[in-house]
Amino acid sequence: MKDPTGEYASGHRGQGRIGSTLSKLRSWAAPVTILLGIVVLWELGVQVWDIPKWQLPSPSEIGQELASSRSLLLEHMLVTLEEIVLGFIAALASGLVLATAIAYSRILERSVYPIVIASQTVPIIAIAPLLLIWVGYGIAPKVIVVALICFYPIAVNTVDGLKAVDPDMVNMMKTLGASRWQVFTKLQMPTAMPYMFSGIKVGISVSVIAAVIGEWVGASAGLGYLITYSQPLFLTARVFAAIVVLSAMGISLFVLASVVERMMLPWYYTEKRANSIERM
Amino acid sequence: MSGDAFISIRGLEKSFPSNDGLVRAVRKFDLDVVENEFVVLLGPSGCGKSTLLNIVAGLDSPDSGTVTFEGSPGVSALGRVGYMQQKDLLLPWRTVLDNAILGLELHGMPRRQARTRALELTEFFGLKGYESQYPYALSGGMKQRAAFLRTMLMDQEIVLLDEPFGALDALTRVQMQEWLLQLWDSLRKTIVLITHDMDEAILLSDRVYVLTHRPGRVTMVLDVDLPRPRSYEQVTEPSFARLKSRLLEPLREQKPKEAQGLAGKEGL
Repeated sequence: MKDPTGEYASGHRGQGRIGSTLSKLRSWAAPVTILLGIVVLWELGVQVWDIPKWQLPSPSEIGQELASSRSLLLEHMLVTLEEIVLGFIAALASGLVLATAIAYSRILERSVYPIVIASQTVPIIAIAPLLLIWVGYGIAPKVIVVALICFYPIAVNTVDGLKAVDPDMVNMMKTLGASRWQVFTKLQMPTAMPYMFSGIKVGISVSVIAAVIGEWVGASAGLGYLITYSQPLFLTARVFAAIVVLSAMGISLFVLASVVERMMLPWYYTEKRANSIERM
Repeated sequence: MSGDAFISIRGLEKSFPSNDGLVRAVRKFDLDVVENEFVVLLGPSGCGKSTLLNIVAGLDSPDSGTVTFEGSPGVSALGRVGYMQQKDLLLPWRTVLDNAILGLELHGMPRRQARTRALELTEFFGLKGYESQYPYALSGGMKQRAAFLRTMLMDQEIVLLDEPFGALDALTRVQMQEWLLQLWDSLRKTIVLITHDMDEAILLSDRVYVLTHRPGRVTMVLDVDLPRPRSYEQVTEPSFARLKSRLLEPLREQKPKEAQGLAGKEGL
């Protein structure tokens, strides 16, 4: 299509759906092959050197364990998932509120923001036992550990995003008659969205680790508890099965966050793709 | 002329702190613009042109001097004066149409109503068929016209244009200049445009103010009496060349100060 000044607009790029699916498959091929290679070597190694199951189970034995104790794993997975979901929601809500306050108020930025950053140097794993003393053995301390760990990347990335606004854009909004609140909701918040999602993706990836830490300190259920319980009994295959489930959870949560991001920021991904095609 | 001036600027001064003390951006600046007039401020990079427009638009305040609109001084121009910059400043998460209606939306008009109004104008602005595209998919000229549409939909009497075609290639720039002439003929706004392109200044304006190098001051006012409607062919006519040679006089008198490297600081 030609526009009235005779330029060609540069929309509708890319090679269509089939081409992009193929290239996506190709980008997955390499890591999947490497992973399969490791699994095969592992399997062969265990059999060749005759390593006992309690020391290092083979992938097939871990697979058998996954199948045979699936109801046990599912039961504990749901406990861990609940801790993650509640902790993550708490981190998201408090992270966004605090980031907004910091970006909106210079006083808070000077007084609270340095404390938020400094708080990250406190090892959460050292605080976790104290939480048991303060809030007991229930789900609460695990949720708090998850929230404490997820909070930081979400809050810091969102603050960065809210402050990454082009001052010329702010001026443009002002000359159109925008109030400070309108500048915030219609310019700063959308600008911060990709940053916020980066924080969410980092947070959700470590949330699984956070839940396991919470459970290690003291719990009666959850996959982290299952690992600490099975390990002294030399149920090593079960430990590995729990690790597999934990990893699968982490990956699924990350993929879920990415899908939500793509749905909410369609402009961001098409723009990035267009730019990367231009660079080629 | 000053009796029925639409915009009147008197004795404007503005300085900025910098590493080597205070930099005077604008000095003893006077300007009068009559209603429906097309005025161009022509000057080299770093002559404080953008500072001046920022003050007129209400984004910045002068150290001393006054800016008066329609005879009432001290009224903030924010939201009352259309202002368009060299960068298109389209919001990447909004489609062309939703970018265009941004100003109307900020003033509380329901989106549906604002969109209907914008759709009536997309054809004239050369954006028909691109309303639902995101800005990244548009060419430079189209982005600039989308920014124009956003400014014009506010329907303000005064429109300030800060090098609106500065980022475009030469051919697109000529096409956009002719398009702006058409637009101005049909809308009849009061326009103040900044440029350092002499052809652009003569082609578009009723009057050209030539500014000196920083601190910006008016050294010459040239009335452009070329007949309207105008087109780019007039650039080659003798009357055009005569006007251009008169514009060259004050510009040539100025000593070249490129060595100071002020070119990059114009945005101040």
